[in-house]
Amino acid sequence: MSERSLRIGLVGCGQIADAHLQQIRRAVGADAVAVCDSEPLLARQAAERFDVPMQFSSLNAMLREARPDVVHVTTPVHTHAPLSIKLLNAGVHVYVEKPFTVDADEARQVIDVAEQNGRLVCIGHDQLLDPEWVRVCEIVASGMLGEIHHVDSVLGYPINGPFGRHVVASPNHWVRKLPGGLIQNTVSHPLYRITEFLDDAEPSIQARWFSRLPEVPFPTELRANLQGEKVSGSLLFTSTTKPYQRVTRLYGTEAGLEVDLNTQVIRFHQSGRYPGAFAKLEAPYRQLRESCGNLKRSVGRFVRGELHYFEGMKRLFESFYESVREASFREVSSVRPPVTHQEAVRVTSIMDRIFKQCRDESGDFAFGAGQKAAEEKFSPARSTGEDRSRETPAELVGQGHL
Amino acid sequence: MKVLLTGATGFLGKRVLRELLSRDIEVRCAVRESSRLDCIDDIRTELGCQIEVVSVDLATEDGCHEAVSGCEVVYHLAASLDGCTSSLFQNSVVPTRELVRVASESGVRRFILVSSLGVYGPQKLPRNAIVDESCPVDEAPHLRDAYTYSKAVQEDVAWQTARENDLSLVVVRPGVIFGDERGILSHRVGLPFGGRMLRMGGRQRIPLTYVENCASGVVLAGLAAGVDGQVFNLIDDALPNGREMIRRYRRSGRQLRVIGIPQFAIPLLSWLNEKYSDWTEGQIPKVLSRHRTDAMWKPLRYSNEKAKRLLGWQPSIDIDTAITRTLSFSG
Repeated sequence: MSERSLRIGLVGCGQIADAHLQQIRRAVGADAVAVCDSEPLLARQAAERFDVPMQFSSLNAMLREARPDVVHVTTPVHTHAPLSIKLLNAGVHVYVEKPFTVDADEARQVIDVAEQNGRLVCIGHDQLLDPEWVRVCEIVASGMLGEIHHVDSVLGYPINGPFGRHVVASPNHWVRKLPGGLIQNTVSHPLYRITEFLDDAEPSIQARWFSRLPEVPFPTELRANLQGEKVSGSLLFTSTTKPYQRVTRLYGTEAGLEVDLNTQVIRFHQSGRYPGAFAKLEAPYRQLRESCGNLKRSVGRFVRGELHYFEGMKRLFESFYESVREASFREVSSVRPPVTHQEAVRVTSIMDRIFKQCRDESGDFAFGAGQKAAEEKFSPARSTGEDRSRETPAELVGQGHL
Repeated sequence: MKVLLTGATGFLGKRVLRELLSRDIEVRCAVRESSRLDCIDDIRTELGCQIEVVSVDLATEDGCHEAVSGCEVVYHLAASLDGCTSSLFQNSVVPTRELVRVASESGVRRFILVSSLGVYGPQKLPRNAIVDESCPVDEAPHLRDAYTYSKAVQEDVAWQTARENDLSLVVVRPGVIFGDERGILSHRVGLPFGGRMLRMGGRQRIPLTYVENCASGVVLAGLAAGVDGQVFNLIDDALPNGREMIRRYRRSGRQLRVIGIPQFAIPLLSWLNEKYSDWTEGQIPKVLSRHRTDAMWKPLRYSNEKAKRLLGWQPSIDIDTAITRTLSFSG
């Protein structure tokens, strides 16, 4: 396996599949060989636009004919676990788009099956390999900020974007039937930017959700505080403020910093060296120098063609593929994927607790009573067309995923 | 005669609805559950006639059956205009395939699909060639923008499904539809960039059709005899060019900052865009790929003779009046 390009398959040709196929194409040592969707027209458009040689509407057929080494799962969330389990049992390694699964129970099942089959699973925490985030981690590791005591993480969600509008307009959209609804579909990004520094298994949590948009009948805002033994975190998920941010602030015992993943800029917060009124001159001067440095860096990256929105995703793919290659000649248990199996379960478990607390506090105000709706949606007894994939796991494929 | 109309709450659909009702045709409107029905209510009140409305999901067989049953003619206008490609396919292409199939099973006499002039592939045509219904469709529509790609596949799927199921299909391909709430400036004139418009060329004719003219053409496609299996361009007469459009826009008192890209520079820009995009692995997408720019901004002439001859269509509101009306409403 180490001598040849990995053969990559993808199941679920919705919106996020575009990003996956673009980045697989850029990734070193891998070729997208097949796409699959229960709707042949969706498989067709993905294959045509990204030059993928094979397209399928049956997962079994894709496994049999394309023989992928790795399959990316980009289907609706409620299909992630059963699909991943099927793929792992078929002997392929699996990359799962975030959020990993509907809940932590499913996450544990997937990991158990992966370990039983000696296969790797990677969850799509792609911002962890974003170049600016990697730089932040290097700065933290250098000790420049001292010990990190607190992390603020912000995600602005464009509820009026094409996907958000579609969710708002569709009472039966699968996103609205998740225990954490629209928020669950996206909140893992700002959350794992906190849990990267907050390593407690079960931090204490205070969370609530609400909506500021009268026309939207489900929560679009989340405020959550996490308290670990050494580090605390606060998470802001908002759909009403602009610009739509992907910002994280770190507060250390020596200094702080703010990283904006959208603009690929890092700003430091440091104590001044000069007293009194001089400090008021020193601060803007330092910011000016910092801005000049950031501009120079961005111009250089632009010229070199390094400013890709999904650069972190590409790097995460490459890192995971490297783990897959290692797993072909080493004991799988000794291979450490870029996002560990334990971390995938831990983040999912924290999300479960956040949503439970929100539901408990908000009563019926939530996604059609949240968990109840989710249970109904995911019940194998249901027999709507929308759930056909749940009833026939062999053909689990899906559509329309952010 | 009873007809099914999809997309009745849309920009073109509400004019088609009004036109059908004015001809005393019984109409059933198939709408999404989330659709706002104000415009249908307004038309019902204004014309004092019955309009049947069904809320259905046209991507499902049951939804299509409920919509189609008892209708002789289907006018299929519903389509998404924006969003990613997969979303456009889910909302436009998949429902079209289902609706054509179910219509054939339900005894529908004729199915009218509103496609787009964008589905043509004029890349190989010489400059100033005439684009009529014999012009080939784009062989590589996936290299175009998401909307055009979805319309090309929608039409392809409709033809294929109609042939397989022996359904009479008529396709109309309107140009850029303008009118009241949609304004007169489209991407055929130029592209928005940082608060300015990049005017692309400027002397090539813009294939426009005023929404009310277009609506009458769509309706005639369902009524005219002997046009089964035909395609019709719906484009107004005396088309203006991009410069004239911008002049009219500014003359109405509106501000517009324009950067003119001359026609001869478009191929060079396209080449640079493609090379840079390839070199940077897509840091900037291929917005101006040669395949797209040739289809969008090459100087061409557009024919509406077939619609006039076989449908008896006339764009009754001349282009000057249509632009004036549009600019007096919004812009």
